[in-house]
Amino acid sequence: MPKAIEIENFSYKYPDGTVALSDIALSVEHGQRLALIGPNGAGKSTLLLAMAGFVKGTGKVLINGLQINRKNLKKIRTSLGSCLENPDDQLFMPTLFDDVAFGPLNMGLEPEQVRIRVADALQTVGLAEMADKAPHHLSAGQKRAAAIATILSMAPQIITLDEPDGSLDPKNRNNLIKLLASLHQTLVIATSNMNFAAALADRAVLLDKGRIIADGDAKKIMSDSKLMTEHGLETPNKEMSFLRNLS
Amino acid sequence: MHHAHIDKFAYQDSPVHRLDSRVKFIVVLIFTAMVISLPRTSLSILTCYAVGPFTILVLGKIPLRFAFKQILLVSPFVLVLALSCPLYDKTPVTVAFGPFFWQTSLGWMRCFAILGKFAVTMLALIALVSTTRFSDLLAGLQKLGLPKLLVIQLGFLYRYIFVLIDRAHHILRARAGRKLRNLGFKTELKIAASMLGSLLTRSIDTSERINIAMQGRGFDGKWRTLSKLQIRRADLLFALTAASFMLGLYFFVRPVLQ
Repeated sequence: MPKAIEIENFSYKYPDGTVALSDIALSVEHGQRLALIGPNGAGKSTLLLAMAGFVKGTGKVLINGLQINRKNLKKIRTSLGSCLENPDDQLFMPTLFDDVAFGPLNMGLEPEQVRIRVADALQTVGLAEMADKAPHHLSAGQKRAAAIATILSMAPQIITLDEPDGSLDPKNRNNLIKLLASLHQTLVIATSNMNFAAALADRAVLLDKGRIIADGDAKKIMSDSKLMTEHGLETPNKEMSFLRNLS
Repeated sequence: MHHAHIDKFAYQDSPVHRLDSRVKFIVVLIFTAMVISLPRTSLSILTCYAVGPFTILVLGKIPLRFAFKQILLVSPFVLVLALSCPLYDKTPVTVAFGPFFWQTSLGWMRCFAILGKFAVTMLALIALVSTTRFSDLLAGLQKLGLPKLLVIQLGFLYRYIFVLIDRAHHILRARAGRKLRNLGFKTELKIAASMLGSLLTRSIDTSERINIAMQGRGFDGKWRTLSKLQIRRADLLFALTAASFMLGLYFFVRPVLQ
């Protein structure tokens, strides 16, 4: 079985010449929960965009064994769902139902199948009663959950999430941890919040200045205070183990 | 941030709310055309026409205060136009109301006709958007043949106008927090221009990210939605009642009152 994500020697420069990613090599197994950690500007979001084929650099990116190119793009985006940093960018339709149905409809599913997928996705994120609401009527926590529902309705095997805990209060953050922990998909979570990463991830990849600095067991990497401090990060606090049990 | 949405009552439930958006839209469109085509001397007939939207607002449990507030909000533009009429048309006319007669000018008649027509058509429009969810209205417009591109644009406008307002508020607050003295007109103008520029740049960034979100979910240029609209017996009854009301006013009341 091909790996969920396989990246070989991938490099990318911004149009102004700034190096965003340099010589990235990463392999993610199916079912893994990977935390992409690093300070601001490390290249985490760019790497997630590269995984979904939105950023074209040099090197190889394979999703489910398929190399990213124009021919495979539709198949790849059906198996890899990207959740953007700001839910307002992800929720662009007039109602939540339309937003969650947008992906399945583009996949060519029959209307009845789409309705089932929308109902299931909204049920999973706890927004079943909100289907007819406009996104601007939702709270920050609900918007985040709704953004995840828009991906879940496409039933992808891999989900990438960019700073999913941003601007969430502790209660909503814990709800999100529970929700993400309940998913069976391969998760790639870009975050600079070590407590959040520690509560979910079994593997961590530390990225700084566009390069992979460390890759391995999440607990081991994130408890290395010297490594963390060197790269502008912090070690997770004790709450981490509590949240992990919770999830 | 919480906004005073024009459609804030559209999520209520009432017999009017349950009507098909297409039927309501067509009725309002014909009603508006009929009101606009009334001669400028038909102020009494205009009052009869106002009964229609008032009834819809009451049946839809929309507070009349809210409706009048919305009319007042957009009235300045029409007020300028209406109040200029008495200045250029001073032709004397005699107005009769029952046994009473008085002299006025044609300009004033035109002024009241413009204000009256504006108020009645606005009431009808408010009755429509307050009893119809914007998404249903868009779906209805699409079914009625409005170009898809325009429907998409309207959908995005409705979705992101509040995000843009929020951003503008944040920028204004940041400016107010640091503006500790009067800066003069020229400097204020420069600041306003850079604030607008910042809003524009951020809007372009947002549109790029929305494009990524759309493509990430398989968007290939074709806009696909699931329509839940359905014409029922209640919709036909509403259309029939509205048609009887408008035709009755046109053929029976108008000749009597004119």
